[in-house]
Amino acid sequence: MFSWQATPLRPLTLLGMLIGVVVVLALVLGIVTYLIYFERKVIGWMQGRIGPNRVGPLGLLQSVADVLKLLIKEDIIPANADRALFLLAPVIAFVPSFMVLAVIPYTASHIFTANLNVGLLYYIALSSLTILGIVMAGWASNNKYSLLGGMRSAAQMISYEIPLGLSVLGVVMLAGSLNLVTIVQHQATDRFGWYIIPQIIGFVVFMIAALAELNRTPFDLPEAESELVAGYFTEYSGFRFAFFMLSEYVYVFAISALATTLFLGGWAGPFLPSWLWFAIKTSAIIFFLFWVRATMPRMRGDQLMSFAWKVLIPVALFNVVLTGALSLIG
Amino acid sequence: MFGIFKGLGVTFGQMTKKKVTLQYPDVRINMPERYRGIHQFIPELCIVCNQCARICPTDCISLSGTRNEDKKLRIDTYDINFEICILCDLCVEVCPTEAILMTPRFELASYTRDELYKDMEWLYGNHLGEFGSHEQAMAAQAAREAEHAAAAAANGVEPGGDS
Amino acid sequence: MCALRSEEMILNVGPQHPSTHGVFRLVVTIDGEQIVDADPVVGYLHRGTEKLAEDLQYVQIIPYTDRLDYVASMLNNYALCHTVEYALDLEVPARAEYLRIIVMELQRVASHLLFLGTYLLDLGAMSPFLYAFQEREQIIMLFNEICGARLTYNYMRVGGVQWDAPPGWIEKVRDFTAQMQKKVPMYHQLVTGNEIFLNRVRGIGVISQEDGIAYAMSGINLRSTGFNWDLRKNRPYSIYDQFEWAVPVGKNGDCFDRYFIHLQEIEQSLNIVAQAVERVPDGPIIGKVPKLVRVPAGEYYRGIEGARGELGVYLVSDGKDKPYRLKLRRPSFVNLQILRKLLIGQSMANLIAILGAVDIVLGEVDA
Ligand code: SF4
Ligand code: SF4
Repeated sequence: MFSWQATPLRPLTLLGMLIGVVVVLALVLGIVTYLIYFERKVIGWMQGRIGPNRVGPLGLLQSVADVLKLLIKEDIIPANADRALFLLAPVIAFVPSFMVLAVIPYTASHIFTANLNVGLLYYIALSSLTILGIVMAGWASNNKYSLLGGMRSAAQMISYEIPLGLSVLGVVMLAGSLNLVTIVQHQATDRFGWYIIPQIIGFVVFMIAALAELNRTPFDLPEAESELVAGYFTEYSGFRFAFFMLSEYVYVFAISALATTLFLGGWAGPFLPSWLWFAIKTSAIIFFLFWVRATMPRMRGDQLMSFAWKVLIPVALFNVVLTGALSLIG
Repeated sequence: MFGIFKGLGVTFGQMTKKKVTLQYPDVRINMPERYRGIHQFIPELCIVCNQCARICPTDCISLSGTRNEDKKLRIDTYDINFEICILCDLCVEVCPTEAILMTPRFELASYTRDELYKDMEWLYGNHLGEFGSHEQAMAAQAAREAEHAAAAAANGVEPGGDS
Repeated sequence: MCALRSEEMILNVGPQHPSTHGVFRLVVTIDGEQIVDADPVVGYLHRGTEKLAEDLQYVQIIPYTDRLDYVASMLNNYALCHTVEYALDLEVPARAEYLRIIVMELQRVASHLLFLGTYLLDLGAMSPFLYAFQEREQIIMLFNEICGARLTYNYMRVGGVQWDAPPGWIEKVRDFTAQMQKKVPMYHQLVTGNEIFLNRVRGIGVISQEDGIAYAMSGINLRSTGFNWDLRKNRPYSIYDQFEWAVPVGKNGDCFDRYFIHLQEIEQSLNIVAQAVERVPDGPIIGKVPKLVRVPAGEYYRGIEGARGELGVYLVSDGKDKPYRLKLRRPSFVNLQILRKLLIGQSMANLIAILGAVDIVLGEVDA
């Protein structure tokens, strides 16, 4: 199998790496653009609407137009904001969202995958960096709503990091590896098939925690429009706002891809090419996220916290114990 | 937990339903006969009785007329200020000759407030529409009404609804 | 050891805020996410309707009442016309009464649907809002057909109504009622059973019966406390006594009860409409009213059950064609008074849930 780590660094491989990075970046930007379009369409359909349909055929260029609009907008920095932090926050929120994509195995041949042996750990560690950006944004905006939003998201994302981490432990125990590629390969040979079957509890906990990590309905408290007027990015406009949006949707994609890898057998599947299988499974999970958004009201802060600590974490711990016991017996 | 899934079922079921939105500027909402939109004014019919201006709750009609050689009053100016008109229909109700009427037209957005001040010519144009003269417009109106009455008669209901 | 005290923060919710449903300002003092004090500031939408009315003939006031509770204009129209009719001791033709009942109850349904949609939107659920608006749109189109306007109807007149039902309208109402009666369970499935929603509204913003009465609340806010008080039953007006329907009351006075009664009232109103469309009589639509209405000198008060509570019109006349003084008892304004009491001690997230459930319309609060 191909691995970047095993290849010596020569000018040619460096070039290959660069090209790979650019390709992944461009691909992900394209995916995110259409993710937003897809979300608006799906939610529109669920609400008796058509969704975007004006820009380009079937409205396909709507997100492109939106991004373009955001890019050429005036960049406003509030007078009383903490300037340095205000400028830094979107970058800190955004960069990790792209970095986590390095470890996701999209296809059976891992040209674009780092193939880290601690891939899962890397993902979870990096994705928690984004919180820093969000808290920073909330603080630096010098706006009360933003501050509340930033505080809420700090509390929420840190709390849900724990069940998220615990829920994937079962998978790690079954596969015996933190390497995402190995995990996928294990699923092909495991007697239960995809880990969604032996790890169904883990999967449910993972999905709930993932929704919370993404700040999406029903856990979208940090950016609750109707309470906090968009929370931590109230004061952001133009392309800084776009950065936050972008990182949010990159995470939607990343976490769906991670769920596919961990629980749905990754790229594996008959007949179709591996990347297509991966795309199909990821899209299904993304669709689920949108579907939930179209249906659910928002949770309340204290309920959210007690749900994480009193329900999700015990359940996730139980899952770990159960998996351990089962693998001892089996 | 069960209620959440029921809700998900409802939203999923909606996906295939017929969409209710209209492609607005391309497809227009069909306003009914009685729709109280922007006025039209027919100077030929006006007898300058001033009733419309008096009943208007927001005082947005201003008119003036002069006496002809044959002692008949003739309307000279007739302005409606659509900044404050609330499209309440009271002026139409009191007009004895149906000189002032309401049309199904509802778009009035403009860049400046001045444009909302509509004079007699504009209101008359609103009445004429695509027709060249008042007679033609009235003939078309009569034809439409006759057609309507025929359709209503075919459906077995009396026109006007005053059963 | 003394408890750790953090600094309090003053937060201006509104006048431009997505959840205040208009230009309403709430100055809340918060300690963390806890509300220590709340001070509602009203008046941003004040248009001086009462004062304006003193300079207008009665028929000219009617379009102004449209703009009070602008999501329930028909009921406002009726409140004024009913008071003047009462003052004049005027007989209203039967057909007019039936048409009035039909439009008023449809209006109540439309208004409650709007509450339902916006309340859930406040709580973060998007879809119910759009579903509710689809239904409301049908009602509005029915109104559009009968009176030519979609929001500010100006439909009623002293002594009757201005327009008769166009051909086929009654049948359309009948169809709509039947179809809407089938739609209501969908809302229960989508919303009422949702655990997240229940957790957010159960036991929140509880109004006790004593408080409800002491604060002169009315409408659904009062009924949610278990106090059965509906002016359509308790001080019958129009022809409500000829229909069979029930007054839904709550038990706990919390936000959930208020939400639930809204849905039940939709069912009851549809019930009334369904009965009314079956027996609309023929006849004139407006009684014998002098061209210029002059109310005999004196003081008159009539209250009707508006969409949000007791909508009262207090009329002082000195015998002229214009009122000497017109006082409107706007239920939203009165119901709003309890807000401070409800909010203190709650968290920020509950603020929206409580404010939404008290169900105010700013046009009515500020008049
Ligand atoms: S519609 Fe009403 S406000 Fe407008 S001009 Fe006529 S009377 Fe005046
Ligand atoms: S009421 Fe009619 S006839 Fe009289 S002045 Fe007005 S438009 Fe002319």
